[in-house]
Amino acid sequence: MHERLSFYIKRDSVIHRLNPLTKLVLVFAFIGVAFTFPWYWMSLSLFLFVLIPLAFVAKVSREYFFTATRLILPAAGFLFLMQALFQPIGEEIIFQFYFLDATRESLAFAFTIAARIIVMISAFTLLLLTTHPSELMSDLTRRGLPGQFAYVIISTLQILPQMQAKAQTIIAAQRSRGLDTESTFLKRAGSVLPLVGPLVFGSLVEVEERAIAIEARGFTSKKEKTSLHEVPDTVTDKTIRWVLIILIILSISLNLWL
Amino acid sequence: MLDKIKSNFNTQTWVLIPIAIAINLVVGQIVLTLKLPVFLDSIGTVLVAVLCGPWAGALTGALSNTIAGIALDPGWFPWWPVAAMIGYMAGRMAEWGFFKSWWKVVVTGFVIALTAVIVSTPIAVYLFGGITASGSSFITAYLLQTGQGIWQAVASTSFITEPVDKITTAMLAFAIILGLPKRTVGGYPKAANAEAEGADRNQLYIAIGVVVLLVLFAAFLLRNILGG
Repeated sequence: MHERLSFYIKRDSVIHRLNPLTKLVLVFAFIGVAFTFPWYWMSLSLFLFVLIPLAFVAKVSREYFFTATRLILPAAGFLFLMQALFQPIGEEIIFQFYFLDATRESLAFAFTIAARIIVMISAFTLLLLTTHPSELMSDLTRRGLPGQFAYVIISTLQILPQMQAKAQTIIAAQRSRGLDTESTFLKRAGSVLPLVGPLVFGSLVEVEERAIAIEARGFTSKKEKTSLHEVPDTVTDKTIRWVLIILIILSISLNLWL
Repeated sequence: MLDKIKSNFNTQTWVLIPIAIAINLVVGQIVLTLKLPVFLDSIGTVLVAVLCGPWAGALTGALSNTIAGIALDPGWFPWWPVAAMIGYMAGRMAEWGFFKSWWKVVVTGFVIALTAVIVSTPIAVYLFGGITASGSSFITAYLLQTGQGIWQAVASTSFITEPVDKITTAMLAFAIILGLPKRTVGGYPKAANAEAEGADRNQLYIAIGVVVLLVLFAAFLLRNILGG
């Protein structure tokens, strides 16, 4: 269960060097345009001609394709099948399977939804592959995000694998005491409390100690804090961000206007 | 307003939130390996909402989905408003005194479930056309085939699955709070909301009975829908 917790791959590329906020705006631009631009093939074109080349530029194409085949395509494919077969729209039946039928309209609709979801998840994946979470957080904190938010996100990413390991230990321990986690429904439902209880109580007891520890380090102090790492923000970054914001507005207004 | 929000957050709240998020996700995974027909992925959110207040609960819910999106599966992202509203409603119910005994906790769980149905339906309809990638979409799809409207189909699907999940979640959260030492609970901003009026054994059995009945009711509805 020791899964890789952050997708981040340390490489040196143009995309890696971009300011984290620029990449975040880029993700929202992808989502905004994919969902609002009034051209049928827009999502697919974004994916084929922008997202995939960007993955190559960022030198993370191998990892990107790995994530895509493992996570994105199965989800999108399942969604496509469900939509195509189950949406009760359209007359012209193309394909039939027992009582389920795929019409031209439902296929077209399924394709739109699946392509949008692919673009949305791919854009986030690209951001996560090229940006270290703490870099993103320290940049956002410098721009005025309260430090507490950064603390919550970074420390969750640290606590999560520890707690997953603890959960595995508890499951193994309770099984060795004879707890039934595999047989009938009632037995499995009954084993929720013996598994969840120790995990939750064990973690909640730490809270007070942690609170005292970070309080001793000036967590709630109102004084301006300095950062150990400076995240560069260039003129190019600012220009890219403005262009992207204009693109989003353009796409939304085209959608409303047409 | 701002003061009210601020009153939810002290240092202990900020420390509890990451742990609560981890509880959400890890307990969700445990329940998944047990192959139970519930998610139980918002126990931590409800805990924060009750102990610290509705705004802290809403924040925990929203961040929980964001972090699950970063760390586990990006498919979690779109559902953050649902998680946030679950946290907010749980906190509000606790403020109104509905988190002090077993039967009140069951009411809270039901209200949370209704909230989840109301918030998740538009997301499912607008973002996914009603059919999401989750297993319960088979029910939605079947209802759509039988000629029901999309809003009705999506809402009735989550109405079958949500109450059991959310009432169990609320009850587990209450059991956890009851089990914590008084001294640990006392440090949180809204500790008074969780002061039990006496945890009556009989009430607990009645509450468990309600959940069992709901499971049977959901199973009955499912059989009627899928068999009819």
